[in-house]
Amino acid sequence: MIKLVEDIDGWLNKLTKAKCEYADLRVQQIEIERLSSSSRKIEPVEKSVTLGFGVRVLKDGSWGFAASSQFNEKEYERIVKLAIAIADASRKVNKIPIELGQYPTAKGNYETPFTKDPFTMSIAEKLDLLAHWEDLMHADAAITATMAFLDFRRETKMFRSTAGSDIKQVLLHTGAGVTCGIVKGRRERYERSFPTSSGQFVSGGFEQIASFKIDENIPKVAAQAVEMQTAAECPEKVADIVLSPDLASLQIHESIGHPLELDRVFGSERNFSGTSFATTDKLNKLKYASEFVNVYSDPTYPGGLATYKYDDDGVEASRTPLIKDGILVGYLSSLETAKRINAKSSAAARAEGWGNVPLVRMTNLTLEPGDKKFADMIAEIEDGIYIEGVEQWSIDDNRDNFTLGGEVGWEIKNGKLGAMVKAPSYSGNTVQFWNSCDSTGHKDEWVLWGTPNCGKGEPGQNGRTAQGAAYVRFRQVKVGG
Amino acid sequence: MIDKDQTLSSLKEALEASTADQTELCLIGEDLSLTRFAESQIHQNMYRADTTVYVRAIKNKKIGITSTGDLSAQALKQAVVDACTIAELMPEDSDFDSLPSPQTAPTITANDAATTENTPLLRADAVGKVVELCRKSDLQTAGAYRVTTDTVAVVNSLGVEQFGTSSRSELSLTANGEKGNAGWAIAYAHDAKTISPEQIAKRAIDKAARSLDPISLETGPYTVILEPAAVGQLLLFLAFMGFGAKTLYQQRSFMAGKIGEKITGDNITIIEDPLAPEFAGLPFDYEGVPRKQVTLIENGIARGVVSNSYYARLLQSESTGHALPPNNTYGPYPKYMAVGAGNSTIEEMVASTGRGVYITHFWYVNFLNPMKTQVTGTTRDGTFLIENGKIGAAIKNMRINQSILEAFANAEMISKTRELYPQYSVAMLVPAMKINNFGLETTEG
Repeated sequence: MIKLVEDIDGWLNKLTKAKCEYADLRVQQIEIERLSSSSRKIEPVEKSVTLGFGVRVLKDGSWGFAASSQFNEKEYERIVKLAIAIADASRKVNKIPIELGQYPTAKGNYETPFTKDPFTMSIAEKLDLLAHWEDLMHADAAITATMAFLDFRRETKMFRSTAGSDIKQVLLHTGAGVTCGIVKGRRERYERSFPTSSGQFVSGGFEQIASFKIDENIPKVAAQAVEMQTAAECPEKVADIVLSPDLASLQIHESIGHPLELDRVFGSERNFSGTSFATTDKLNKLKYASEFVNVYSDPTYPGGLATYKYDDDGVEASRTPLIKDGILVGYLSSLETAKRINAKSSAAARAEGWGNVPLVRMTNLTLEPGDKKFADMIAEIEDGIYIEGVEQWSIDDNRDNFTLGGEVGWEIKNGKLGAMVKAPSYSGNTVQFWNSCDSTGHKDEWVLWGTPNCGKGEPGQNGRTAQGAAYVRFRQVKVGG
Repeated sequence: MIDKDQTLSSLKEALEASTADQTELCLIGEDLSLTRFAESQIHQNMYRADTTVYVRAIKNKKIGITSTGDLSAQALKQAVVDACTIAELMPEDSDFDSLPSPQTAPTITANDAATTENTPLLRADAVGKVVELCRKSDLQTAGAYRVTTDTVAVVNSLGVEQFGTSSRSELSLTANGEKGNAGWAIAYAHDAKTISPEQIAKRAIDKAARSLDPISLETGPYTVILEPAAVGQLLLFLAFMGFGAKTLYQQRSFMAGKIGEKITGDNITIIEDPLAPEFAGLPFDYEGVPRKQVTLIENGIARGVVSNSYYARLLQSESTGHALPPNNTYGPYPKYMAVGAGNSTIEEMVASTGRGVYITHFWYVNFLNPMKTQVTGTTRDGTFLIENGKIGAAIKNMRINQSILEAFANAEMISKTRELYPQYSVAMLVPAMKINNFGLETTEG
């Protein structure tokens, strides 16, 4: 791959140095392997490799980007020239030049630590694990519809810029999960998943799967799926709620992560993913959440699906406070967007693969835990619902009004968990909701959850993010079924 | 541009490296140009040329799939060898019968020269026009102008040999004002020349101008008038939830057990119509099987689903030519859906409505209950109150909570004109609809 980088970099320097303020090059290879089973039947293994390069130029204050999967001298020249021509076309419309501030000049390497490489293991060993989980799920005779999967992704990324950056990163991700289901008649289906509805995803190798504790938890979730058949609908009322860490992770993702993407705040997604209520005039002023809430962006946090050393601007990763004691204090940003508020980039410029431009994306977002364990939180609730798992979600285009729901819930009465309820949902408005939070759980119950499928941008880019949370409690929230 | 003869020749040559019982190569090429703009500036402008060859090899009913982006003869042969190796490691799939045999696909003009040759300067010119028109109305603009040429080639060891290219272009625009008012419009066409930036801008500007000072509406069932894009967004989710043979076979489709039964109003007919000239799509699927017209719902009665060769066999039918790329486990899926036209105009729908809500499109539609086709989402960029037969005040965005089949059972009027609407690589030809008892909830408090 280094030879490819040298060759393309040669064209980049030759064609852009005299004409452009800045240019960069990403050469990326992504290997994917996904194995899955459905009711004991093994699906065809999804195995793919993609290799390509993308060239981004900033010329006369406008961006141009071109990318290709073909590696030859003629194509390198065509793509670099096209990126310049595209920047020239952008300039025809643009009145305000884009500025990046100080160009990064990082040189370095980073590789996800791992002990067992899933790509060199035999397929048989991996299929055996799926069969083992299927056996465990079907050990409960009532379980009739099951799913299990393993997902591996290795991204080798080399980055060069005309400012002098020279970076290589190899990021390895592992994911796994199971779903126990019961199909009753033609219209009823009851499902419980573990570790969560789309599985857990982390940085690392095959060795990480043991930490998901799937074997140990299958009997529990299978029994819950059975119990769901006779569980009552969740009552519609205003009540205190406790969210499981995986559902809290989604809540952070949708109502803190997305609203604080600075490109979205400036309107870059106005026509597609939407805008944000958290405009820059509210920085350091908006009481986004209660005083118990502290949220950081942290690509340096180990093991997350967004753990890396450099972003796709070539900026070295760092921990950035977003919400401090409930106050909005920062944004997820790129070089370009951070410059507009005279801030330091939070190293959140990230592109999906070689064929896309970097956008401001979520990284590892951490909701700092407090001092209350799950049992203590429940003990302090008179009337409430504990909601577990992820079933549904939707939030408006200004990231204000949302509805989310879990796979299953339990009533809380006088400090104790009571009867199970089916598919509970809750809704609210972002700032009002986060200001009703009065506990962010305990560090012993805190989990960094991976989200492998965060959609944003046109053409659609699939981002890999993570959100860390323990159990989280909110007071007086609208709940229903 | 990917050359037909050279491509088919290299794919066939690579087939010879196979030691499998049956082997298939599927090349998928994408040439994408996209100009995105916001705050009246172009903030993202790009081109991408991506080509991938998928190989599917079958040995004793064991299926191995791999892919490569390297189109050299050596790399293609290696991919075939790798797929054969993977097949040997897989368990037998007793439900697999055979790759498809050769069939002739109809010839259609799917590749438009003006669209294929659309340049960054042409797109910038179009963006410049909409920015200027919006500026004259004191509005900012955000949007995207996308031009795509897709190439698909399929060969298999049974003699299938298909090659085709298809182009499409799309301009979408949100005009937005300082007070949060906004209007959205979209145009999609096979031929880029038919897209008028001025017309799109006019529609978006008109809605933005009328969106000032929105009022709140209480939760309740409303008569709604959905523009074609809003109908398309519901249709797409209906397809997710049940128009594919895999979901039907696994009894996860709302169509399961309902074929031949009434599931919507008499006035609803939905056809997967891949050969309709409006779509100008590729006439064969990713297995090389000719795409066939499939009636999904006819006058309210559930008629059928789309299939690929694998699920057609399980359902004891023939493939309708709707296979997705080989590495996809989602199953067959419709790609060109058309909803039957009615005999009304949007103006007649508005005039006949005492009190209702006019909806331009939705955002973040997501499942609540797939078996009941229940979805949520919010209205966006152009929602208005209808009172006494006239469109009036703008309405703050509302959340929907609605079964799509119930909505299609309550469609009182359907427009005689239809518009093309694209989403997630699916193209739809959809009318506007007037629907009664549509669930809307306030997003306040």
